[in-house]
Amino acid sequence: MWPRSAPGSRVLTLEAVTKRFGGLTAVRAVSLEVRAGDLLGIIGPNGAGKTTLFNVIAGYYRPEEGRVVFDGRDVTGLPPHAISRLGLTRTFQIVKPFGNLSVADNVMIGALTRLPRVREARVEADRVIALCGLAPHARARARALPIGLRKRLEVARALATRPRLLLLDEVMAGLNPAELAGIVDLVRRVHAEGVTLIVIEHIMAAMMRLAQRIVMLHHGEKLAEGTPQEIAHDRRVVDAYLGEEFNLAEA
Amino acid sequence: MTRLAPDRWAAIVLFAAAAVTPLVVRDTFVLDSVILILLWGALSAAWNVAGGYAGQVSLGHAAFFGIGAYAAALTSARYGQSPWIGLAVGVVLSIAAGAMIGYLSNRLRGPYFALSTIAFAEVLKIVASRWRGFTAGSEGVPVPFRPGFWTLGLGHVAWLYVILAVALLAYALQVYLERSRIGYQLAGVREDEDAAEALGIATRRRKVQAVVVSAALTSGCGSLWAQYVGFVDPSHVFSIDLSVRFALNSIIGGIGTALGPFLGSVLITSLETYLRATFSGVKAGFTGIYLIIYGVVLILIVRFAPEGLTGIAARVAVRR
Repeated sequence: MWPRSAPGSRVLTLEAVTKRFGGLTAVRAVSLEVRAGDLLGIIGPNGAGKTTLFNVIAGYYRPEEGRVVFDGRDVTGLPPHAISRLGLTRTFQIVKPFGNLSVADNVMIGALTRLPRVREARVEADRVIALCGLAPHARARARALPIGLRKRLEVARALATRPRLLLLDEVMAGLNPAELAGIVDLVRRVHAEGVTLIVIEHIMAAMMRLAQRIVMLHHGEKLAEGTPQEIAHDRRVVDAYLGEEFNLAEA
Repeated sequence: MTRLAPDRWAAIVLFAAAAVTPLVVRDTFVLDSVILILLWGALSAAWNVAGGYAGQVSLGHAAFFGIGAYAAALTSARYGQSPWIGLAVGVVLSIAAGAMIGYLSNRLRGPYFALSTIAFAEVLKIVASRWRGFTAGSEGVPVPFRPGFWTLGLGHVAWLYVILAVALLAYALQVYLERSRIGYQLAGVREDEDAAEALGIATRRRKVQAVVVSAALTSGCGSLWAQYVGFVDPSHVFSIDLSVRFALNSIIGGIGTALGPFLGSVLITSLETYLRATFSGVKAGFTGIYLIIYGVVLILIVRFAPEGLTGIAARVAVRR
């Protein structure tokens, strides 16, 4: 159903990407490689540059230095909509639903990117809405949804564009345990459909279970990278972010 | 689509009523009122394409109206050519101006965009007032009446059907925007530009397209208005009063809905006509009072029906 990249091929490469705002360097010389089928987690304290990194990858910010290569193509400096059409899309940490439109229309607008006919886009939207567990709310106005469902809508709308690489920015933040379990399950299903994922999350328990690899950002720099086990035992990560009381048993 | 929505039925009733009016009434006052309701409705619908559907709220649409009015008036008065040619010239000029304004909307958002559109209309007003050799300045341009369709010298009945056709075109354009890909994408742009970009929508291009189409239709209506009224002067055709009227009809009727601009026009145009006829003229002493009543009605609507008349209808429908 989804367009897939060849398994194991490089989907995204960041080459020493730097983003500055005036005197502040929000992202400093970050290099990264993501292969097809990966589920990469990004962690780090507030202000570490996680969302800025997403904004650079998705085309919202132009990096001062370095390159963003998606599927072998240099996308540095392309506008977000062009990058999205190539198959790389993102969700927003502060959800941005089309508030006055129904859930179904929200998702359909995503589907219209690949399917120019409204009727076909409607069918595709229904499929994605069902996949994301939003079917009972399809006709509700997006702004009337509780936060848990708005987070799902954010994912659904992005999925409807049929991305090969999807950037999820804190889709689990602020959810209650039941909602959290639901969205973890959803992320798994999306991954199982063949979408490569990069996930920013503060909820370590979920991250430890989901991610295959984790990158830790601190003050805009890549401090550590490894499997969840390696990250959890990394001295620098524990000092800068997790704290002493964190242990794997908890995760 | 098996059943028509209530607002579609309301539009059918409204346009059908306008169409049969000349068969029943021959009174020019009535015909004139219907023509103006349809024309202001069509103009407001044109505004609604940019302001309602694409969320680019302009308060300078008189610029396009004036370009159209002058293009038609000067073509027939100065060059003795058909005002239809003038209409086409006006549309071309307005497309160019609309592209410029649309481009501005990518730099300036919300209130700043609205302010820049006001400035744009004001600049054109000054140009038209000062360029006496070409536009006859603030004296204005009387449009010669030459009977015939090609010269747009028409009687009231014929005018009514011409304007009705334009109103239907404007309505159909809006309906198209409610069910087509471009319409949904514009809704996305209006609701959240960043999110629309993330979904692959070229938000800048879409906004420019919406403003250009809106400008072209506004300009065409301006040309017809000039021929219908027979006189064009800069302080009226480029006035902010007109720009506000286009916006207000939509806002009162229901912004971003196909029926809204026409409902708004029915209410505002007939209210204005009635108040003006009742409170001015010989009995005077009350010359300005219609503006006060008009203002109070606007305040009441904004206070009690912030989503416009179509919003009230929707609420009533939900309650049932």
